[in-house]
Amino acid sequence: MPITLNQSMQPPPVEPLPGFINRKDCFAEISQLATRSTPYRPLAVIWIALDRFKQVNESFGHRGGDAVIAQLSQRLRNRTGTRGTWCRMAGDEFVCLASAYDSGQIQQLATDLLREIEIPLPIGGLLLHPSASLGIAILEENERPSLCLQRADQAMNTSKRAGGGRIVTSGSEPMPGRLGILLARHELELESKLHLALNHGGLNLHYQPCVNTDGHIISVEALMRCPAHHISPGEFIPIAEKTGLITRLGEWSLLEGARFAKYLSLAGLRTVVSINVSRAQFVTPNFSQTLHAALLCADVDPELIELELTESLFMDNSKLVQVNLRAALDTGVKIAIDDFGTGYSCLATLKDITASKLKLDRAFVVALPQDRRAFAVVKAIAQLGEDLGMRVVAEGVENRQQLDALHEAGVQAIQGYFYARPMPEEELMAWLENRRKQHD
Amino acid sequence: MTETITPSSVETQLEISLLKIGIPPRPVILDRIDAEMRKDEPDFNQLASVIAADVALSASLISITNSPYFGFRGRVSSPREALMMLGLNVASKAIAGIVMRKAFPKSPQLERFWDASARIARLSGWLAQRVTRGTLRADDAYTFGLFRDCGIPILLARFPGYFDILTEANHETSRGFTAVEETTLPTHHAAVGYMLAQSWWLPDETILSIRHHHDAEILGTPSIPPTLNSRYLIAVSQLAEYLLQQHTGLSFTQEWGKLGPACLRLLNLNEEDIAQILTEAAPILEAED
Repeated sequence: MPITLNQSMQPPPVEPLPGFINRKDCFAEISQLATRSTPYRPLAVIWIALDRFKQVNESFGHRGGDAVIAQLSQRLRNRTGTRGTWCRMAGDEFVCLASAYDSGQIQQLATDLLREIEIPLPIGGLLLHPSASLGIAILEENERPSLCLQRADQAMNTSKRAGGGRIVTSGSEPMPGRLGILLARHELELESKLHLALNHGGLNLHYQPCVNTDGHIISVEALMRCPAHHISPGEFIPIAEKTGLITRLGEWSLLEGARFAKYLSLAGLRTVVSINVSRAQFVTPNFSQTLHAALLCADVDPELIELELTESLFMDNSKLVQVNLRAALDTGVKIAIDDFGTGYSCLATLKDITASKLKLDRAFVVALPQDRRAFAVVKAIAQLGEDLGMRVVAEGVENRQQLDALHEAGVQAIQGYFYARPMPEEELMAWLENRRKQHD
Repeated sequence: MTETITPSSVETQLEISLLKIGIPPRPVILDRIDAEMRKDEPDFNQLASVIAADVALSASLISITNSPYFGFRGRVSSPREALMMLGLNVASKAIAGIVMRKAFPKSPQLERFWDASARIARLSGWLAQRVTRGTLRADDAYTFGLFRDCGIPILLARFPGYFDILTEANHETSRGFTAVEETTLPTHHAAVGYMLAQSWWLPDETILSIRHHHDAEILGTPSIPPTLNSRYLIAVSQLAEYLLQQHTGLSFTQEWGKLGPACLRLLNLNEEDIAQILTEAAPILEAED
């Protein structure tokens, strides 16, 4: 049952903490700060409740509990410095009022605060592993500040009910009930595995060949795998996108893929390596520097690198996207349009795009050969690609019937399990070598 | 491409990859440690014997474990004890720092650069304990000091004119260091170092700090990311570099003039504190290893 907030409600008496205002002053302070809230620097409330604190008091007595509170509260204050106003709402509950951050930074701040709390601390000869439930609410336009405080409290309670040790933002609470809790847990577990993989080299790249109708190998696509933690890309890519880790993963793939292209070339198996670049990664202001750094670190001929960008990026006229597209082309790398045909394609824009490859969305391939309308669209795209000087590639080809239909539609290049599945480096090298012998 | 080898000769390939590919690949020993860390019961003996096989690596690991600059002050005498003392996580960072210098080709031009990095690293480790009151771990500050400028040797090897660019950037008093590099190059040493650190799987905070270590804006306006710890790493290493310059009387860079005030604010220090810290730091500044 979430605690409902009411100014008249008698709060339990709590000891004052240095640098922390009390519950009553919190209401005055939040009203004051709310007057300065702007859409760019909104007032945010982070409500923090320590998990299992009752056990600490029971095990170590109130003096022990007070010592823990003193240390944790100090850590929290140090983390925000003067950029947060801190209030103690109850014995083990704190509120941070922050108005110097944008909403993205608030999520990061909450993560930092949770990480700060989770640093183990010694007490009575044992090492205590504290944890907390955090709720975030960002003041909306014309919202009463006390309501915002109440939303943060509710979000914190949602976090607590889901097992604690997590951050819930008001408005994005997981679906209620047991299923919601299970899903949230599963997601958190995946996120923590992904962090582990990122910190301990638990990721690698597999490569899937893209083959022309005459058997000639056009390129290999680099695909991320996480074998160390047994999670599939279908599981970790969405989490990486949600948490912003996708940029980091993408930058890592860029360098690793480029290094492998160099490696293949040194081994006499010169092949273009296609590397996926997510939207989040592409719209970072330093995308161009990072791309150059990767090419330089790999010491690779840029012609051996192809960046796969989703079609919606090409339709984006924002300055940053256009500048980064230009910068990418200037390095000499190739560009491919990924998942073409289901997004926001605008044929008028297509004529201005400098891309060497157009990858049909797999939804078209799945529909073949039965769906004649899909066949008609594929045929039209194949013709269009040819006229625009782009190679059209069908992804996800799994059987002979699909392959025949694609050939009939005029698609010249294929990628999919029918030809080859994604393979680790050594296996791919052997595969390439074998193919080369067959075609010599 | 004239350099061609057959895919069957794996040994040759590895050699070529080490020699020719732009940046040194992640050392295999780090993969071994990570593999052990993923196990419920890591086999310390197995790892210790791998490390012991490399006499120079063992000696460096023992020395660093016993070094006050790394924050442990242990009294260990074998790789196994060092692993037990540091824990695998910290040991992995320590080993990364040790093997990094060896991963680059030896060059007399680079010797002074590596020596300066080592001094900044030691001093950063000491400063983490002295000025951040334990907020920053000494081993993190030490490792960051070693890796901070690892983009420089890579660029020196790739661009014959980079030495001149570096000299110009070091003398620049108003524009950012990386901005000077970018007037001639399409990238800069912080971005290149960031890529190397990523491919070696260094911790997030270290990687981001390498990316932003000349970024006055990030230090001055505490936006996140990078995290506060990343900003501490940057501030501590800049302070270390400044102290080294003060101590030697050589001004090999102008970075303190541009970043110093923000570093002092972040670390909550003033000029008087700096004078005091400089006196206390003298033995560390003079230490050889």
